[in-house]
This record gives sequence, structure tokens and C-alpha cells, in this order.
Amino acid sequence: MESQIQQIHQQLIDKKISCVDLVQEKLSALKENTHNTVNSLLSELALEQATKVDTKIANGENIGLLEGIPFGIKDVYMLQGTYATASSDLLKNYKSAYTATAIQKLLDAGAIPIVKENCDSFGHGSSSENTIFGAVKNAVNPELVGGGSSGGSAVNVAKDYTVFSIGGDTGGSVRQPAGYNNVYGLKPTYGRISRYGLMAYASSTDCVGPIATSVEDIRIVLNTMSGKDTKDQTTYTSESIEETSILDTTGIKTVGYFKNFIESEAIDTQIKEDFLASIEKIKAKGIQVKELDFFKSDILVSTYYTLAMAETASNLSRLDGTNYGDRIDDKDLKESYAVTRSEKFSEETKRRIVGGNQVLSQGFSDEIYLKGLALRDAISENFEKDFEEVDIILSPVTPSIPPKIGDSLKDPLAMYLSDAYTVGFSLGQLPTLTVPQGTQTGLQVTAAKNNDELVLKFANFLKDTI
Amino acid sequence: MSKIMTVDVLSSIKGAQPSEAVSKLFDVIKNAQTTNNNPFNNNHNNSVSLDNLREDEVIESSALEKQIIKDNFPKEKNGYLVVSKVIDA
Repeated sequence: MESQIQQIHQQLIDKKISCVDLVQEKLSALKENTHNTVNSLLSELALEQATKVDTKIANGENIGLLEGIPFGIKDVYMLQGTYATASSDLLKNYKSAYTATAIQKLLDAGAIPIVKENCDSFGHGSSSENTIFGAVKNAVNPELVGGGSSGGSAVNVAKDYTVFSIGGDTGGSVRQPAGYNNVYGLKPTYGRISRYGLMAYASSTDCVGPIATSVEDIRIVLNTMSGKDTKDQTTYTSESIEETSILDTTGIKTVGYFKNFIESEAIDTQIKEDFLASIEKIKAKGIQVKELDFFKSDILVSTYYTLAMAETASNLSRLDGTNYGDRIDDKDLKESYAVTRSEKFSEETKRRIVGGNQVLSQGFSDEIYLKGLALRDAISENFEKDFEEVDIILSPVTPSIPPKIGDSLKDPLAMYLSDAYTVGFSLGQLPTLTVPQGTQTGLQVTAAKNNDELVLKFANFLKDTI
Repeated sequence: MSKIMTVDVLSSIKGAQPSEAVSKLFDVIKNAQTTNNNPFNNNHNNSVSLDNLREDEVIESSALEKQIIKDNFPKEKNGYLVVSKVIDA
């Protein structure tokens, strides 16, 4: 099965390449790159680890599958002793005091972190332009955005600067940049991977997600990071997904798609045509395809943003420059908080914090926030009914092709609405994978909760079908 | 103090105003039809059984972790960590 991880692993044990050379080559490519994907390079740590791997191989010791594999980390994860800036001015000098569980599991497996990657500040954005490190440029066309918020991670994988990268997906932040840069990106079922050590944006939808160039690499990294963690009590125990089990695609009988996504006036004509052509190819393989009813896009986007803003207003209230972060002193504590937050948060982050406090305040919470929660429940119920009818839901990743750099910042409402096809699955906490096929920005494959295996299985089926 | 707190005070952000783009999103929610308006009357909340909670115990941080936490503190003077003045003289 196609896998860059397997391939590099074999080259390492056959001594066709050394781990130090491999890591050095990736570090140099990252350093020279002009796509603004790098917030900080982890050169010293990475080369030290690579030397250890080479010594093991030279001594005839066995190495694990991920041992010596260079990977990237979105700059919202903790990795002890390295910068964790969230691409923000407030935390530009902040160093991680501890390591995130998901990242620790990769370190334990021997994978080598080489870069902290550029993204939208605190995950607030869909284009990776809301950052102090410069807008991330698309891997295919550098005049276009890299997508977001995990833009740096997706571009690094697409350009082969990292073998895989770990992004974070709250409303589409792994799936959309994966689609914009033609790579695979998975948002697993909520709770499958621990969020401990991931800077909280909207805690009820935040997910750790791998980005890679093959389904097999996604499977390997997902298995490594999954599992119950007492430090994140929303996690659950999951079975490892076997390679053989995702190769057998005979169990998938029915696929559904949301009629209103495709009939929407907002969808790009070419994306619509390509999506429907993909559906025909699936039908030709003997799979039954059903049209499904779903909530209107504006309801999905508004529900997601209402809840996400409320949660981020609460999560980011700790960022006041007192215990950490850049502080601007003023006449007293309250003024210091206000001046620090006013000066150090970006416009988009402030917009979301203010929106969140608006909906949580008395007089607004009933008609907006609580109603948003009720709508979220209705959306989840809709999904439960759908998965009684179909095995998989297929959707485009985005209604449009990536915008030009600069356009999203001018029109925040248009940016929010561009998340129309990804946010619903976040609210439902469902496993959803972007595959770089079918439309210019890919296809999303979704299954019922905890059925991440079926998602990978269907992605394998699509590889041979479309 | 007034009982009404404006969003700039609630957010600790000077001069903050509700944004037009965000207000448009909220209008959609206000006008949406829901069959169930009680978000707490459902089974979709993530929760942990009382039997499944982790032990309530203090776990000592490593010396390195403590040092990094101190290094991250914005201001230090003569070995003390300095905070803003809380009470006016």
C-alpha cells in the first residue's frame, strides 16, 4: 500500500539514506521555503534525535515504523522547551512548559519533530493570513491562500517539507487546507485523540488531526496518537485500525450526499460538476447513492460560529499578560489586562472574543447561545438518522476554490460562509477525511461517530474509483 | 458600578464594538426555527461517569517544567515575579 512512512522506514533500515541526512534535507528545504510555513525550526532537537536513530541502525538494532520520520507540528501544540506562539503577538515569546499527549505519543514512537508551523492565530481563520509570521502561500499557486487554520501544516506536507504534519481542526482547519493543497487531512471522531496540550479554541469541537500524502500514513499516525487520556476526560478507548481491514471495501453499500450543498447558489460551477461526476463513478461501482436533506448552510455556519465564539471568549480570557505572554503595564491590573489584550490580539481574534461575550451575556444568551445549542442537537439528531440510511456521507470540502491572498481579510463574513461544508461535521463530532480527489479542493468522507475505520476504508475505495 | 456591562468591559478589550459581520450570523440564529428549545434535554453532551473520573491527586511538576513556567513570566525583579498594582493607594 502506498505509504511515504513505510518507504522511508525501509530506506533507513536498508541504509540507503541516513536519518541525519534526511532530517537535514527537510530542515534546509523548510528554511529556504518562501511559503511562510515556518514559525520556528527545531533543528538542534531534530538532529540530536536523528543521530540516535542512525546509531541504533548502525548497531543492528531494530527501529519502529515511525522512528526517524520527520514531522511538523501546528504552532498551537505544546512541545516542552520549544516556542508555542499560536502565531500570535501575545505569545510570540512563550515556551511550552510541557508536551501535548498526542505529540508525546509520536515522540515515544520515535518520530522526529522538525518544525512548528504557521497557522491562523489561535485557529481563528480559514486562510492562515491572521498570523504575525506572514500569510501562508498555497502549495500549488503561491498567489492563493494556503487555507486555514492549519495552512502551514498542509503546505509543508504538500511541498514534501515534512512527511506528515499534525494540524488542529475545530470547524474545518485540517480538512480545508488539506483540500486547498491536494493532500489528505483527517478530523477524527471528537475524543479519539487527547486535546491535552493543544491550545483551546472551541473545546467542544477541537480535534487533533493528521495531514499526510496517503491514507496509509493517516492510518499509522492516527493509531499512534489515539487513546484514552486522563488529562482529557472527553477521550475514549479506541481499537487500532488494521491495514488489512481498510483494504477490504466490500462492506460499503450506500453513500449519501446533501442535496442542498450541491444545489446551493454559492457553489462554484466546476466544483458542482466534478462532484456530481464523482457520484456517477461511485454509482457505476454498484453502490447505492441517496440524496439527503440537511440544514441550510447559513444555519450551519451561524450555529458553529456562535458556539465557537462563546467558547473561545471563555478559553482566551486567561490570556491577560499576568502569568505569561507579553504584558503591557498600565495604571492598575484592570487597565493592564485591557491594554495588553487590545494591543496584542489580532483584529479577527478580538472580533471572535467580542462576539462570544455578546452571546454569553444576559439578554442575548437565550435567543442566541442557548438556541445555538438546541440547533446543534438538532444537527446531531439529523446525522444519527442519516447514518441509519447510509454508510458514508460524501461532500465537497469547500464551495469555492482558494481565494487570493488578501481577499479573506477584507470580508470576514465571506470567510465564515466559506466554511459551510466543514462546520456541520464538527458540530456532529463525526470522523471526516479530506481526500485530494474528485473536485479541485477535494472531497470529504464522513461516517458515523467512532467509525473512523470506515472513513479510511472508503478513501481507499475512492482511490481506485475516481 | 452600572449593572449593564458593555462588550469592551466583558472582553477586556478597549473600545471593542460588536461587529457587523458577526451580528449577521447571530441574526440567522435568532430567526431559525428549532423543534427543541431546551438544549439540556438531550443526550448529546459529553460527560464522564462519576466512576470514571481520574484520581484527585497532586502530581508534582518536573524541575524543568517549573523553570520554564518561571521563564515565561513577563516581569521579574530581584528574584520576585512582578504583577500589576491591584489596589489604588
